This record gives sequence, C-alpha cells and structure tokens, in this order.
Amino acid sequence: MDVEKLRAILAVLQGTDVTRLDWTNGQERLTLRMGHPPAPVTALHAVPAAASAALPTPPQVTPVAPAAAARDDSFTVNSPFVGTFYRSASPDNPPFVEVGQVVKKGQVLCIVEAMKLMNEIEAEQPGRLLEALIQNGSPVEYGEPLFRFEPA
Amino acid sequence: MFHKILIANRAEIALRIIRAARELGIETVAVHSTADANSLHVKFADESLCIGPPPSKESYLNIPAILSAAEVSGADAIHPGYGFLSENAEFAEMVQHAGLGWIGPRPEMIRMMGNKVRAKEAMREAGLPQLPGSDGVVREERELVRLAEKVGFPVILKAAAGGGGRGMKIVREKDQLAQMYRTASAEALAAFGNGDMYVERYVERPRHIEIQIVADEHGDVVHFGERECSVQRRHQKMLEESPSPALNEKLRERMGRVAVEAMKKVRYNNVGTIEFLLDERGDFFFMEMNTRIQVEHPVTESVTGIDLLKEQIRLAAGEELGRTQKSIALRGHAIELRINAEDPVTFAPSPGLITAYHAPGGLGVRVDSIAHEQYRVLPFYDSMVAKMIVTADSRPAAIMRARRALQEYVVEGIKTNIPFHKRLLLFEPFVQGRYDTRTVERLLAEASPAAGG
Repeated sequence: MDVEKLRAILAVLQGTDVTRLDWTNGQERLTLRMGHPPAPVTALHAVPAAASAALPTPPQVTPVAPAAAARDDSFTVNSPFVGTFYRSASPDNPPFVEVGQVVKKGQVLCIVEAMKLMNEIEAEQPGRLLEALIQNGSPVEYGEPLFRFEPA
Repeated sequence: MFHKILIANRAEIALRIIRAARELGIETVAVHSTADANSLHVKFADESLCIGPPPSKESYLNIPAILSAAEVSGADAIHPGYGFLSENAEFAEMVQHAGLGWIGPRPEMIRMMGNKVRAKEAMREAGLPQLPGSDGVVREERELVRLAEKVGFPVILKAAAGGGGRGMKIVREKDQLAQMYRTASAEALAAFGNGDMYVERYVERPRHIEIQIVADEHGDVVHFGERECSVQRRHQKMLEESPSPALNEKLRERMGRVAVEAMKKVRYNNVGTIEFLLDERGDFFFMEMNTRIQVEHPVTESVTGIDLLKEQIRLAAGEELGRTQKSIALRGHAIELRINAEDPVTFAPSPGLITAYHAPGGLGVRVDSIAHEQYRVLPFYDSMVAKMIVTADSRPAAIMRARRALQEYVVEGIKTNIPFHKRLLLFEPFVQGRYDTRTVERLLAEASPAAGG
C-alpha cells in the first residue's frame, strides 16, 4: 500500500456514507474509520466571514452526533429519500411506534410520502425506540435520521 | 412572478441561478447529494434538501426525489441549469404536470431539438441553411458524381455505419471521386459490414459560431448576438468569446435574422442557442440547437450588459420580452476560459482537495465558481472548477486582461488547465483571431510544453 493508493481510496470514499472500511489483500490490512463531514469551511477567500455568519441557517439537519447520545450502541433509522414524514397511517390513527416500545425487524415505523406515494419505512433490525427525531408532518431529506433506537 | 425556485443542479450554475433569483426577490431551494452537503450553492440558497447519495443517477438525475423536494419545500418553479435534466423533455413535462413552472422552453421544443434528424428537418423547413450533401445513402457512382458537383468540392465521404472520424474520406478533385468512393465503400464494408456512404460538403477550417436566442411566451423573439466556441478539444469547448473575430456586422445581422425568423416559425420560447458551422467563405450551416442556458452565457452577458438568467426566469413566468432587436448592442469584447481540474498536458481529470485558492479580480474580471480553499473537487461530477470571464474594450485588450488575470489565479492541491490557457492566449493563430475547431489540435501538436507556468 503506497500513499497514492491510499489517497485514491480516500478520494472514492469522500462524501459517501461509508463510516468504516476493512480491507485485506494478502499480507496487507487496512482499517479506515471515516469521521463526520469536515466542519464547514472557515477560510473562504471569496466570502467574507460576516456574510457567512449572516446566512440563514438552512433547514438542514445536523447529523446527531453519536457521542451525544446516552448509549454508544444506539443507532438511527434514516430516511431513504426526500419527502414528508408521518408517524401514523392517518391523522386519526395512533403512531406506528411509541417511545419505549420494542420493535421487531420488518415492523413498520413510519411513512415517508414522496410524490403522493405513501412509503412505509420498516425496521431493519429489532430495537427499543429511544427517541423520535422528526415532528409528524415535517419534510425530511435523504439520509436524515428519523428515529433513535437501542438494541433490544 | 415565481416566489420560490428549486434549482435542480449543482456547483457554479446553481450559484449563478441563486444570484439571479435573489436579485429578483425570489427565494431559492438548493438540492444536493450527500457529497455536496457543504457546497457553496447549498450554503447560499435560502433552503436546502439532500436528495440522494453522490452518484448523479441517484441524486441530480433522480426525478422522483427532485419533484418530491419541490413539493415539500413549497417551490413553485424548477430551474434545471445545464446538463443533468435540463434537456429531458419528460422531466419538463412532469414538472409542468405537477403544476410547477418550468424555467426553459416547452417540452415539445426540447424533444424536437433533442433528436438530431428531426431538428435538422424542422430547421430546414424553418429556413436555416444546412450543410449541403446527400440526404441519405448514395448507392451509385453516377448519383455520387452528380451530388458531389452540386455540393461543391472538397467533399467528404462518410460511412453510414461509421462514426467518431472512422470511415471518412476527403475528396478534393472530381477525378479522384470514383476511385476514392470505391476504396472507402470497400473499407467500410470490411470494417463495419456495411458499405453505404453519404456525401457532404467538407469544411477545411470550420468555426463553431452560436447565436443566443431570447424569446417570450407570446411569440416575440430577439437574438443577443453570437459566441465563438471554436476553441475545442474533442468537441469539448475550452474558451468562448463574443463577438466572434470571424463575423462582420453584415454576417452577424444575417445569421441573427435567419435564426430569429426560424425561432418565430417554430414558436420557440425562453432562451436557447443555435449552433452553426461557419466555413472559410462565410457560409453558415445549422448544426444543432441547445434548449437551455449554456455554460458560456456570461460572455453574452458581458457584451450586452443583460443578465440572461434573470431574463430566463422572468420570461418563464410569462412576462413580455419588452426588447427590440435594435436595443440589443454588443459593446466591447468578452472571453471566457473554462478552468478545469485536469492535467494541462494529458487532460486526465484531477479531482481532489484544493489546498490554496486565489481567484483573480480587478476591472473587467468575473469568476463564476464555487471553488475555495479546502473545497474538494469530487470525482462524481464534471471537472469544471471555475469560469473566468474577462471583458475589455477590444479583443486585444481582452486577451491582455485574460493573460494578466491568469497570472493572479492560484489553485493548489489539484492540477488545472491554467497552463494550457496561458499557452493558448499566446498562440499566434488565436491571438490573430484566425482559428477554427482544429486549432487546439495544432497547438497541442507543437513542441510539447514545459508543463510549468
């Protein structure tokens, strides 16, 4: 493994959702842990700092830092696409899942509506709901965390 | 007028649209892939939504995600920029069916011009001159001789099944025609399994001249003069200028007039660009039409003083053109250089982290870019990092200004084509304005450059 190869691997991973890569090739072993996206640019030549500061904060969700969570083994369920988030099947129905409740793999957690289609989002693994991160009826982005679970 | 525009694009053109919208008092929604979350177009928009992972197919070309983003953000119009979905007629239709404004020409216009054969037919009917040649395959020698004489020598024989420069023969004299036709046809048969040949006028020194069209929804059309885009490598434009050193006032007036008449006939709307091939004799021929705003639109803005993006938005909202052809005058001279993240010698892409960045400035220098120090040029998207546009009173002054500005341009951490541009700006055929679409080839064939500088 030379520097060029490592640089190429890093270039490919940059900006993807990959957080960890284990790579083995004969004797060579490489483990990469990718952090959160780099902090917003601070050294802009073209943009005066004051202008940056005055910008309205975009309605962009700050990824919930795992460090801030109560438990390190907690995990999030993220939105697979951009759309509108609903916690229940209709306004009259109770939420699909309540805080504290344990869900099974494949259980419906919520609906994300995109282009008039109601897409049921299912649990990919069992867990106990710690927190619902999005208000019912709010827009969500691709990859935005919707729920925080702990293993159950 | 629209209240909130969603921009279905990224990088410098997304920022360009934000600037125009903001000056019109319109809010903007940026959409972006996960890779572009910290991009300037996302930071400068009023709102932003992540629509997918880095590959374009799953983000910037993801129609359901973009329409969904428009819905949840409450946008009332979509601007597609250039590239990506800008010339996708189905997308334009879906946008309109969703009740949103489409900032571009009608889907039927996009569809017509997107099909090369249909576009040529329609533009022939609308009165645009076409490169003389056989309309279809020529099967007989006698027919070929008759056509070649009508077209005028030199002619080019093209294999119907060929492409990319293969299976072509240039014939300069009538008495070579029969022999070369037999050879070419036999070669084509051997190479492609099909010996069918076309014949066309051969242009030795073709220039790529395009006319900027601006049209409203009510049938009014004007042109904003021409752009010369002959500095190309493998059909990729590298530098554009306006006005063209190859046009005089009479030719400009004539090209503009036939272009506007054709657009009136097909009832074209919004902005668009008609590309012509101009030969050594001053004859010009329709090549194709781009039904979107173009990368090189700033050179036209610089010489007309009119913001084309604002025009595009307000015309899409149904406003009247409110300009006469007489009111459009080209003043001074503008040159745009595309600064790409690529090796200046091999032209291989050079994505990566920009470790130092300083854009040039001063009178008559404009840089459209989202680059900055610590900006990462991503391997997922095209390699253009910036557009540098210089404007001056005359062409020689604009060339001097471009050279001066490039001296100030600092981009470190990645390779760029700035050294190539420095050579080009000193290359005699370019400096004299006597160049064509093959000039870059000749420049590159000259003694290989000392890569520095």
